[in-house]
Amino acid sequence: MSRAIRARELTRRFGDFTAVDAVSFDVAEGEIFGFLGPNGAGKTTTIKMLIGLLAPTSGTAEVAGLDVASHGPELRQRIGYMSQRFSLYLDLTVGENIELFAGLYGVTGDRYDARRSWILGMAGLEDRADRLTAELPLGWKQRLALGCAVLHEPPILFLDEPTSGVDPLARRRFWDLIDELAAAGTTVLVSTHYMEEAEYCHRLALMNRGELIALDAPASLRASVELPLYRVTVAEPARAVAALQGADDVLEAAMFGRTLHVLTEREDEGGIRSALEAEGLEPQSLDRASPSLEDVFVALVRREGGAREG
Amino acid sequence: MRGGGWTRIRRMIAKELRQIFRDPRMGRIVFIAPVIQLVIFGYAVNTDIRDTPMFVVDHDRTAESRLLVDALTASGYFRVEARSRDPDAMTRALHRGDVIVGLQIPPGFAGDLASGGASVQVLVDGSNSNTATVAQGNALRIIRDFTTRRLRAGAPVPAGVDLRIRAWFNPDLASRVYNVPGVLGVIVLLMSGLLTAVAVVRERELGTLEQLLVTPMRPAELILGKTLPVAFIASIQIILVTLVAILWFDVPFRGSFLALAVAAVIYIVSGLAFGLLISTVARTLQEALMVMFLFFMPAILLSGFMFPIFTMPEVFQWITYANPIRHFLEIVRPVFLKGYGVGELWPSYLYLLAIAALGFLGARARIGRTGLVS
Amino acid sequence: MSWTRLTAMARKEWIQLRRDPRSMTLAFVLPVLMLLVFGYAITWDVNDLDLVVLDQDRTARSRSLVEAFTASGYFTIVERLETYAAVDAAVGRGNAASVLVIPPRFSEDLASGRTAPVQLLLDGADANSATIAFNYADAIVDRWSRDAILKGRTLQAPLTTELRTWYNPTLESRNMIVPGLIAVIMMTIAAMLTALTIAREWERGTMEQLASTPATKLEILIGKLMPYVAIGLIDVALIVVAGLLVFGVPFRGPVVVFFAQTFLFLVGALGLGMLISAAAKSQFLATQVALITTLLPAMLLSGFLFEIEAMPGVLQGVTYLVPARYYVVVARGIMLKGVGPDVLWIQSVFMIVFAVAGLALAARVFRKEVA
Repeated sequence: MSRAIRARELTRRFGDFTAVDAVSFDVAEGEIFGFLGPNGAGKTTTIKMLIGLLAPTSGTAEVAGLDVASHGPELRQRIGYMSQRFSLYLDLTVGENIELFAGLYGVTGDRYDARRSWILGMAGLEDRADRLTAELPLGWKQRLALGCAVLHEPPILFLDEPTSGVDPLARRRFWDLIDELAAAGTTVLVSTHYMEEAEYCHRLALMNRGELIALDAPASLRASVELPLYRVTVAEPARAVAALQGADDVLEAAMFGRTLHVLTEREDEGGIRSALEAEGLEPQSLDRASPSLEDVFVALVRREGGAREG
Repeated sequence: MRGGGWTRIRRMIAKELRQIFRDPRMGRIVFIAPVIQLVIFGYAVNTDIRDTPMFVVDHDRTAESRLLVDALTASGYFRVEARSRDPDAMTRALHRGDVIVGLQIPPGFAGDLASGGASVQVLVDGSNSNTATVAQGNALRIIRDFTTRRLRAGAPVPAGVDLRIRAWFNPDLASRVYNVPGVLGVIVLLMSGLLTAVAVVRERELGTLEQLLVTPMRPAELILGKTLPVAFIASIQIILVTLVAILWFDVPFRGSFLALAVAAVIYIVSGLAFGLLISTVARTLQEALMVMFLFFMPAILLSGFMFPIFTMPEVFQWITYANPIRHFLEIVRPVFLKGYGVGELWPSYLYLLAIAALGFLGARARIGRTGLVS
Repeated sequence: MSWTRLTAMARKEWIQLRRDPRSMTLAFVLPVLMLLVFGYAITWDVNDLDLVVLDQDRTARSRSLVEAFTASGYFTIVERLETYAAVDAAVGRGNAASVLVIPPRFSEDLASGRTAPVQLLLDGADANSATIAFNYADAIVDRWSRDAILKGRTLQAPLTTELRTWYNPTLESRNMIVPGLIAVIMMTIAAMLTALTIAREWERGTMEQLASTPATKLEILIGKLMPYVAIGLIDVALIVVAGLLVFGVPFRGPVVVFFAQTFLFLVGALGLGMLISAAAKSQFLATQVALITTLLPAMLLSGFLFEIEAMPGVLQGVTYLVPARYYVVVARGIMLKGVGPDVLWIQSVFMIVFAVAGLALAARVFRKEVA
């Protein structure tokens, strides 16, 4: 059996608001499967339905070969979950948190000792087992939370924005851990709104307004956006964005630091130059570029008719 | 509080009311619960000892012995729960708590009564001393009256002293009219104190209090913003429960609504101060709840609501002066039953006012020192 | 149900409690403190009643009757009035609890064998105190009447009543209040301890993590309950010891039965807290509901002070929802009456039903919210 997760037409409504709208996908075993999308796109709701924390309004989900709706307890023994918000006990020590979840997952005896030292080593908390969790820096807390989520060595791991609020270095370390787990055969379903993290995923599901708008490997997604993208640097980027957004040939102009990413309808750069010149702006550089995931996302959302949030 | 002060307070009040009523269940809790509580507890707080269950063992079985039992039941104070000829059955019934009083009439009772020297046995379950005291007094009096009547029927005997009672304000000695205003006072203080304490502690726990304190809002404005909405809610509560007391329970209202309203306002303010003080001590809602209980249970039991204050040891009688419920009850009961007003009850008004003022000053001082964030 | 998961939950709950010294102190100190304070302070033994006397007869006989009142120890004369008009004034000031009026021809009536009426005016507003005052006065007058008036005459012996009071012969209200207080205090403490425990985990997000583990709702509930049951049992033991040592309250029944029933009661009361917590899901709401559903019902609907028998039928039905109701019977029964399971089994049945229903309902409400 090579399919770890199978979702079919998963839908969840809250009143007259549809948080997740008929989402279907499959995740293969050992895959790192990413959910990418802005806040409110329905990523968290989808994950909660997959692990049985939230009942779907309609549709079905199968995880580890078990129907989620009917096999809650067995299912939970086979999955690990780490929520978006840090959700271990702040008033317990590192060791006590591990002990609690070991008890809840039925990890006892020698296996408990082994897993405990594995977690402490993995999270770099060997000499901090007696510290209150509240006193740890966020990055360490997240690693501890990951440790507790995989304490029972589940075949499938769900991570809901595991790195939000964590500094880039800690994020990098966190992803190394995820890679290790996947290399050891764990299926990982992870949601994020950091584009650079999405690049680590084997396959990516782009979500917007509760809908799955694209699903493919990151490289294929990039290739699927055929529109020409230009990187432009100018002296006054703010004015340039305003000028370009009003221009006829330009689909989208967005500022990334001091660089502008401009999508045009024409194959050449003429439209961009003329729009800038009309405002008396001289581009310092103007290069054709391959689109980043962010560009892909923006373009796809545009095609779908606009993102929910700004 | 010049300039932006009132604007800030108004914003704050609007925010508080929105937060309180965001959960539609809160609306029910805040307005319907006090009414339901008063109705339920109003029926419960009844110390009239009537229809005391009685076990009768009548070994005599004569017209005379039946007349004695009839005298006891006719009074309305006793009802015959069971009869038997077996005294052990009576013992068991008392043991199980099925009856509170046992009456044993010996064989030859009628004859003894005619010749003089009859006796009956009355057993009382003393485990509820209050009920027992009253039931025993009732039984002794009824049996004595019975004797007197029987003797008079025979030969003329010298008459003794006849004690006649007259009860003012409440001729039937019905306990409910006295206790319902007490329940009213307890409910209102409980609700307003808790709501205030929780409203502040929750913000501290969520960390939003810190956010409020970095705005130009002054502590006094914060306090007003927090307490005025609760004062508003509590005023509606007190009106609702007063109406229930008068219309549902027929508690006579002989005084003026103004006297009651003035007392209610001061009382609510003291409840708010109470809640604020608790909120300066408690860091979490769990603590607030425990501290609330720590204060409320004594406040209720040492208020004169159920146990008369004059029966307490002197030290505790002094302590009760700090208890707002005590003073409110000393106002609200006479206003209801005796028609008194501020003229007669002014010392209680003053005590209540002092408690409210001291409570607020204390809370203000603590908030000033700790900045509300402990 | 897995023992490993249960103990893991219980351990965690215990550690959290231990880390919170304030709650811990309150949980252990509060009950005993309450018992000591109330045990001393509250009583229904009305024995210092204020009496105002208007003696219009002013004879040796009338003075002797007044003396009988003061000698009884129940009444203290606070004022002597001169005219009947002054009675109204005394009442108007509201400081005359009872007024004894002896009319002008009192001793004359007695001497000539006529019935001599004496009037007792009571402030009926506090019906309970007034009733007790009346009973005392009645007994005093009756005895005086027999002793002083009928003495020296040959008279048919009246009917004598042989009165025996069981379980609490001196009718001390403390003996009745202390066992009742245990029920009221523990009911409130128990529900308060658990009322926020689930709501708090929802607000902090930790419940989501728990819910993603194989632990079932019932395991979470019972695991959380275990440390509190232990605390509750220790509390009750402390309270009972304080009651015995400090107040000399009797303990006549089997200790084992008492604690077995205490266990059932605590599970029920704690389960009620859990139910509130699971249903409210917000701590704010839970605090309100907890205080409303525990403190006053435990005091007023448990039979602690107000006889359940005297309540209207519907309300008697409501009292079955108050676990303190069963425990008041148990505590008084075992401590004062010395009864055992033969009498109290029915209370056990009710408490078991209550505890099971409470926990089942809590699990049900709880499940709905997660799944």
